[in-house]
Amino acid sequence: MMRREEEGVAPINFMWHLVWDFKWDLFKGLLTAVNVSIAALILSMVIGMIFALARMSRFKVFSIFATVYVNIFRGIPALVSVIWVYFGWSLLFGHNFTVYQAGVIALTLLYSSFFCEIFRSALQAIHKGQREAGMALGLTRGRIFRSIMLPQATKIAIPNIGSMYIGMIKDTSTFAIIGMVEVVRVTQNLNSTYFQPFVLYTAAAGLYVVIAFLVDFIFRNVELNFSYPPQGRIAKFLSRKKKKRVEGLMKST
Amino acid sequence: MPTSSNNEVLMELSGVRKTFGTIEVLHGIDLQISKGSHAVIFGPSGSGKSTVLRCMNLLEEPQEGSIKFLGTEYGPGNGKDDVKRGKPIELRRKVGMVFQQFNLFPHLSAIDNLALPYRSIRGGSVQEAQERAAHELNKVGLLKFATNYPSQLSGGQQQRVAIARALSLDPELMLFDEPTSALDPELVGEVLAVMRQLAESGMTMVVVTHEMNFAREIGDLNVFMEAGNIVATGGSDFFENCTNQRAQEFIGSVL
Ligand SMILES: Nc1ncnc2c1ncn2[C@@H]1O[C@H](COP(=O)(O)OP(=O)(O)OP(=O)(O)O)[C@@H](O)[C@H]1O
Ligand SMILES: [Mg+2]
Repeated sequence: MMRREEEGVAPINFMWHLVWDFKWDLFKGLLTAVNVSIAALILSMVIGMIFALARMSRFKVFSIFATVYVNIFRGIPALVSVIWVYFGWSLLFGHNFTVYQAGVIALTLLYSSFFCEIFRSALQAIHKGQREAGMALGLTRGRIFRSIMLPQATKIAIPNIGSMYIGMIKDTSTFAIIGMVEVVRVTQNLNSTYFQPFVLYTAAAGLYVVIAFLVDFIFRNVELNFSYPPQGRIAKFLSRKKKKRVEGLMKST
Repeated sequence: MPTSSNNEVLMELSGVRKTFGTIEVLHGIDLQISKGSHAVIFGPSGSGKSTVLRCMNLLEEPQEGSIKFLGTEYGPGNGKDDVKRGKPIELRRKVGMVFQQFNLFPHLSAIDNLALPYRSIRGGSVQEAQERAAHELNKVGLLKFATNYPSQLSGGQQQRVAIARALSLDPELMLFDEPTSALDPELVGEVLAVMRQLAESGMTMVVVTHEMNFAREIGDLNVFMEAGNIVATGGSDFFENCTNQRAQEFIGSVL
């Protein structure tokens, strides 16, 4: 500090209280980011799974379509995607999306391509004996998928879904450009009034980090609940009920 | 000829050819499995034993030949189109299969490994499916492990659950593909005991195995395969009176 004053530079005055004063604005920005990213997460997972199945399909048309889709959209940055959806779409088709819609669509376009790959590799990681056992028992293709492949693939995919979600949250920061009032936009607005970039952007970074820790915690719990034998609290509770019934059966058999 | 050849033929393969890519691995297999008989298939690695077994429940679709089961034709056929054609899924629901690697569903407890397929195929309540599952687990001596997951069972126990799972669907024919090959030696006995019991109960069985003593014990149709062909067959006396030199050499090397 001394040196800076000696050099005639204005002393740095960190106004950390700004973070506290505007905590609700920052928090609302965070909620918006979470809101958009969760909607996009759900959509991307559903569409990604459909694309994964298409990509593994025997029918060339489907697998080529899915492969092209994946390779196009996983290469596009979120910033470009959202500008295209928000401005480009209305230019081309005369239909305006709301900022919220544009954000969800932009993220879904990108992340469904990542989820396609995540689900495809998860499905392919399952030992082929699992499908064969299902077939040998005379189960239908749909039943094999729903009751054998899907639960096992989901478990394999969970850690990757978690890290994808953290990426989605971070990508919402680019939506400031179309005027979405998420964390970065709130930070920009505050900064243009108070000229405290260091304080405000440190706070913003802190919020993203907190979310990343939280997401990691949640997904590790989900993973525990999907592991076998069950280890998470919810799964343990459910399996205790089941166990009781089976124990009744064991006595009567 | 096997003593059981007088009985009703349950499954008949004729002229079954199977090609992977450009390589033909079965060069026209003819085999009759009579109801209640216990066929043993043996031969060197890569001779096509598993492929024959997998053609029997259409896990592999043959390029040529006929697979007749209970009067219904399932294979590509042999030109005579007067026979009733069945769907593979109908065949599989009457034919049980036990794999070398057990292939239990790791995300389901032992009892649900049985109850899920049972309920999916037969319908009915969860309670009914689990009652049946408990009954079958009891028969292989594993009722007290009903709520264990496959990862909490030994290899021998897993294979017994896999056998119980196949039996819970009331198959007419049971296929075993080297059911004890993945097991530690001390666990082989418990699985063979279950299979012996099943054989004694009159179940029709086709067993691919390297356990020659077991084969000798239950096999009333012995089939020696080499390089995609059935080279020699014989009844219970096959191991003593076999005249085929390659089969003799093979038996000598395994025993
Ligand atoms: N899915 C497949 N694709 C290509 N080739 C295959 C496939 N399955 C089997 N083969 C080939 O077919 C031949 C017969 O295989 P098969 O598994 O039936 O032999 P096997 O007698 O059961 O041998 P093992 O005792 O080692 O189990 C082998 O040469 C094998 O490499
Ligand atoms: Mg084999």
